[in-house]
Amino acid sequence: MESAFESYLKKNAGITEPQLSQLKNKIITKAFTKGEFLLHKGQVCRHSFFIEKGLARFYSIDREGKEHIIQFAPENWFLSDRGSLFFNESSEFFIDAIEDTTAVMIDEHFNHLASEISPQFRKYNERILQNHIRHLQKRISQLIGASAEERYLDFITLYPDLTLRVPQWMIASFLGITPESLSRVRKVLAKKNFHGF
Amino acid sequence: MATKKIEIVVPPREPHFVGDGFRVHNFIPSAYRLDMKKMDPFILMDYNSKFHFTPSDKPRGVGVHPHRGFETVTIAYKGKVAHHDSSGGGGIIGEGDVQWMTAASGVLHKEYHEENFSKEGGDFQMVQLWVNLPAKDKMTKPKYQSISNAQINRFTLPDNGGEIEVIAGSYQDVKGAASTFTPIHLQNARLNKGGKAAFNFPANYTTALLVIEGSIKVNGEENVPTDNFVSFENEGEEFTIEALEDAVVLVLSGEPINEPIAAQGPFVMNTEGEITQAINDYNMGRFGYLE
Repeated sequence: MESAFESYLKKNAGITEPQLSQLKNKIITKAFTKGEFLLHKGQVCRHSFFIEKGLARFYSIDREGKEHIIQFAPENWFLSDRGSLFFNESSEFFIDAIEDTTAVMIDEHFNHLASEISPQFRKYNERILQNHIRHLQKRISQLIGASAEERYLDFITLYPDLTLRVPQWMIASFLGITPESLSRVRKVLAKKNFHGF
Repeated sequence: MATKKIEIVVPPREPHFVGDGFRVHNFIPSAYRLDMKKMDPFILMDYNSKFHFTPSDKPRGVGVHPHRGFETVTIAYKGKVAHHDSSGGGGIIGEGDVQWMTAASGVLHKEYHEENFSKEGGDFQMVQLWVNLPAKDKMTKPKYQSISNAQINRFTLPDNGGEIEVIAGSYQDVKGAASTFTPIHLQNARLNKGGKAAFNFPANYTTALLVIEGSIKVNGEENVPTDNFVSFENEGEEFTIEALEDAVVLVLSGEPINEPIAAQGPFVMNTEGEITQAINDYNMGRFGYLE
């Protein structure tokens, strides 16, 4: 059976069936149990991860021990410490699995070969990098200037089902607000939209 | 009348915790050959086999979560559960009681060990069964049927065999306490050692049982131990159980709804679009709010 990553490459990156058979032995998949690290602070990140099943998060821990979630990666999302990966530096971040997770471990050999055999893949890779930068710029702007409600509304558009999969405090951490503030936002929305049984 | 034969006996799988208050073995839908389609109209069965909880000042349980598109049936054998929902409703499910909650268009609720039970600790044993709703009733208004043990009608078996508590449907001429949207029989057979009971359901109904206490012999030939689940063939109508020691057996039988199923977490609908809508409604507060 075709893996989620293989279908993704065919659908989004223009990879053809013959190209896929050339790439097959460079696609390495690994299973992580809930709580397991994909990357630990101090390590050099060697992979970009494609989540086939489950859910991972990318976060930092501040000097008081508080976690700050920068990105969630559910199914069909890519996740990496791009700085550490590209510049070969020690990472300042952590990546761990919030659910039992299966991830494709994309390394430079895969990227190199895929780019060599498929100009479309090269274009696609460039596109997801630009998309990622756009996403980060939006996120910075929001963390500086948007209200808690605006941040929440954007979050449920970006990650619709994560409200069912992660605890409130993680969503609050991602939004840069307190869990109390997130509760207030949800209460206000319910007041507006709930009309009783 | 042909005999309804056992199709498969399923031992309990490794338990997992739902929140920190329910240590359950899942049978439907994750056990082999007990998927939602096969077990239609039963879409989930979590069984908290008898487990001793130590005293705790902070009640264990499962926090606020939504449901849409089906009914949850909680059958308490040991211990007590308190529940609250976003419409301001709540209650306590005690030993022998049944709560039949029609989540339908949407309920936000939480379930915890009842305060005194939590403080004292003790044995805890429950079944939670999810019963699917047909498309036409999925968005109906939520409601509860809180059925205390005293309200459940009983059929007394001959020869001091024990009794059948009829939660839903009927046994002989005894009618069940719960109303259902599609034909469902749900019964607790509380048998004394040697006690026998015969059951008779239409051949096409999805029929199963779970041995809560003791052990039984089914159709005079196959022994089924405690905590094991039996799924019957969709052929034949009649089967018998006999208690090899004092036993409690949950018997369930329901007419398949035969509609497409789209399920994600706490939502069970007919299409992916309806699932997306349910998630969106939950995110936007349309299920209400609960601390």
